[in-house]
Amino acid sequence: MRTAALLVLLALLAGCVASPPEQVRLTVLADRDLADLRPLLDDLRRETGVELAMEYVDDPDVELASGRYRHDLAWPVTDRYLHLREKAEGRSNALPTSTTVMSSPLVVGVRPAAAARLGATPSWADIADRAAAGELRFGMTDPAGSGSGLAALVGVATAAAGTGGALTSEQVSCVALGGFLTGQVLRPRTSTELLAQFIARQDEVDAVVEHESTLLALNASGKLRAPLEIVYPRDGMMLSRFPLILLDPARRDGYQRATTWLQGERAQRWIMEHTSRRAADPALERPQRLRAPIGNALYFPDRQEVLDALLAAYRRLTSGGTHQVVFVLDYSASMAGPRVERLRAAFAALSGTGTGGFARFHLGETITVLRFAGTVLQQQEVTITGQSDVDSLAPVVAAAADGRGTAIWSALDQAYRSVRGDAVVVLMTDGENNAGISAAEFLGAGKRPVPTYAVALGEADPAELDGVARSTGGRVVEATEASLEAAVREIRGCR
Amino acid sequence: MTISPGGVAEPEFTVVEPPRSIFRRKRFLGVFLPAGLVAVAGAIALFAGGVLALPLRDVVVVSGRLASKAEFFTDAEVRRILMAHGIQVSLDRAGSRDIAVNSIDGYDFVFPSGQPAALLIKQRLAQSGHRPAKTYKPFFSPIVLATYREYADVLAKPAAEPVATVQKAARQDTPPLYYDMPMDRFIGVIQRGTTWDRLAAPDRRLDNSNRVLAQTSDLCSSNSSATYLGLVAFVANGNVIPQTEADAVALARKIKPLLTAQGLPGDDLSRSYLAPDGQGLAPIAVIYEHQFLAHQLRALGQTGKVDDRRVLLYPAAQLQTVPEFLALTPEGERLGELITTDPHLRRRALELGFRVFEADDTLTTGQFAEFLTERHLPVPSSGIGDTETFLPSLPLLEKMITEIGEC
Repeated sequence: MRTAALLVLLALLAGCVASPPEQVRLTVLADRDLADLRPLLDDLRRETGVELAMEYVDDPDVELASGRYRHDLAWPVTDRYLHLREKAEGRSNALPTSTTVMSSPLVVGVRPAAAARLGATPSWADIADRAAAGELRFGMTDPAGSGSGLAALVGVATAAAGTGGALTSEQVSCVALGGFLTGQVLRPRTSTELLAQFIARQDEVDAVVEHESTLLALNASGKLRAPLEIVYPRDGMMLSRFPLILLDPARRDGYQRATTWLQGERAQRWIMEHTSRRAADPALERPQRLRAPIGNALYFPDRQEVLDALLAAYRRLTSGGTHQVVFVLDYSASMAGPRVERLRAAFAALSGTGTGGFARFHLGETITVLRFAGTVLQQQEVTITGQSDVDSLAPVVAAAADGRGTAIWSALDQAYRSVRGDAVVVLMTDGENNAGISAAEFLGAGKRPVPTYAVALGEADPAELDGVARSTGGRVVEATEASLEAAVREIRGCR
Repeated sequence: MTISPGGVAEPEFTVVEPPRSIFRRKRFLGVFLPAGLVAVAGAIALFAGGVLALPLRDVVVVSGRLASKAEFFTDAEVRRILMAHGIQVSLDRAGSRDIAVNSIDGYDFVFPSGQPAALLIKQRLAQSGHRPAKTYKPFFSPIVLATYREYADVLAKPAAEPVATVQKAARQDTPPLYYDMPMDRFIGVIQRGTTWDRLAAPDRRLDNSNRVLAQTSDLCSSNSSATYLGLVAFVANGNVIPQTEADAVALARKIKPLLTAQGLPGDDLSRSYLAPDGQGLAPIAVIYEHQFLAHQLRALGQTGKVDDRRVLLYPAAQLQTVPEFLALTPEGERLGELITTDPHLRRRALELGFRVFEADDTLTTGQFAEFLTERHLPVPSSGIGDTETFLPSLPLLEKMITEIGEC
């Protein structure tokens, strides 16, 4: 009887409060990473009547780009690629409505032993330096097939360019990613595959580049022998915002009900509790594991062609071919003193005795060093398999700068004869050509398809150098003794 | 749109006719009476509180498209007051310029955050033969550069030509919340392309290798970034407003690198800034003063303390923005009338950090200053001015926006 009375009462109250909300079914093109939201979406349906029918795909951006989708909404990891494409196609004035629901930074999970090698608060440059030396092997999804992999690569490239601004088309052709990518031993297309491969090879792979949320879940999964330390790179990170995007404006009503509910306090708390992503609501207190400072967000490029160029660079750098750098160094007497000392210091940094960062010589690279004055003084070549190979070049640059004469173009001509396949030539000189062949003769000898980047110091003739460099696809970088190392770093990644 | 009874949240008492025998039983009454009384009392409380509309009054759903001022209508207290007047607002968020250049069919009102977008909409309505929109100006709020104390400290540090100075009226016993910023110096720093960690400040260094700049929302869609563009253009042009299209385009090209160095703009800039990670996401963000003050008032309410990590930089050339509520239907007019005249809503606007017009329609700070003082929040000594004094004419501003934003 008591039950009957309560039922009557409940019926009465239900009549008072609300009629059941209108049922809406919205199809969603969603990133597979978001499968962990399922219980939350069940609650969403129960409470608002809005069912988000999720179709999980590995990379929603592929379908969004093709325009072949037939979904009401999209839920990718980021809307940056969509926005870039819409802008590129002249639709900047009507970007689809997008609501940030949660966020997570792309960071690095490192095995404790490897973390010790990186030191306290490492940067992407430190990671690149260790990777180039073969001391840090990591997994990262393939940027060509994964939005998060691409965002991570943009972050690393922005840090490598080091201007503090968003990456530009001009910078991207010379961004030094070779060393960093030497360490990328796992490059599957999806996050799921990356985790599976990492778990299987956790004794030999040191680190994994992923979302903070994915790494926290991995640590909690019990599948690792030791939990990973999460590194928030000092020189910045990329943040993924997991926006819910309205593709079909006719479904606005259901979309608004869903986003309002998802931005509500209970849903936001559930997201932090169960997915380890950070809440979009700034006012909510965070659980302990989500309180680590994430560092500075790097600026994201605002042009599609920057991403295209970066992907092309990535493909080239990971295609497995060997890469050769030929240094053609002026050791005439005018270089003696601070100039040659700066040159040695720059070389030492690239060799990993200082902080080489992104510019460091890396495993698999062939380095040719040619010293010249009035004639070629010395030529030595090494393919790097370990630090001892790098060290073998030290005596070459340590030699005294006391040669007579300056035969720039003869030296360059000889350097070109040592080139095999994918290569770049770096020429450093501080004087005018006064021996050997002339620039015209050098150019007249035939097509020079290997780009030459020239660092012009002191009395060098930048116009003549630039003419030759440009004809090979390179350019000239003017420098002083003080800026020599910066100039070398600037062209270190040029291909 | 009117919802008939039985529609949205429409309460309805169903009279259940149970068998007499149940009501007569003592045990039943023992359970039902107290519980029933609680239910009725609760229902009365809900009606009185405005959470539910009264049974015999229609609830009108008024739909609008709006930008940052959506924050007023999503406030629970505002919703409650409106519901007590039988109004429920359905919101569709978009940037101000986005509202202005795209279809507004089917909405009862639009509420862009500034005059340029409002003017654009009024012109479009006139061209399409739509009846003129009735305009309401319930409150206003200046554009500010919101930052963090460490950043403001470094900007204020150099003895000669500091980029920020503590406002004079600041109290001595608490860390200052408000700074004045000579924009020409700040633009100089942006122009040099320097990074935060290379900013010259004798004894402190910021741990941030990003370029010094103020982050804005998407120029193609937002009023705050268009206004910031106007400010940068005005200052970079020697405090002169461009008068011809050729001048405007040349000036736009000149300042473009200053505004595009941030790369792809993020959405929800105030949320990024106010997030616990905000210092890393948007160390200087171009937002509205009300967004900052609403945060501080919330912090005061929750913790009893001001959030003294976050501070404001007021550009010396002042940027007042007066959002215009444009009613497109009679329902929209009813809502516009209410938010402009209802004393509870006007009070709530202050509590949400807005400045309100005085009885004589002037942009003075009387009620605003009084209110902040009452809440023990310092009163900024600037924030009064007129935005139109340095914005170019609408067609020229539009030209500059599309030139720089490639919209």
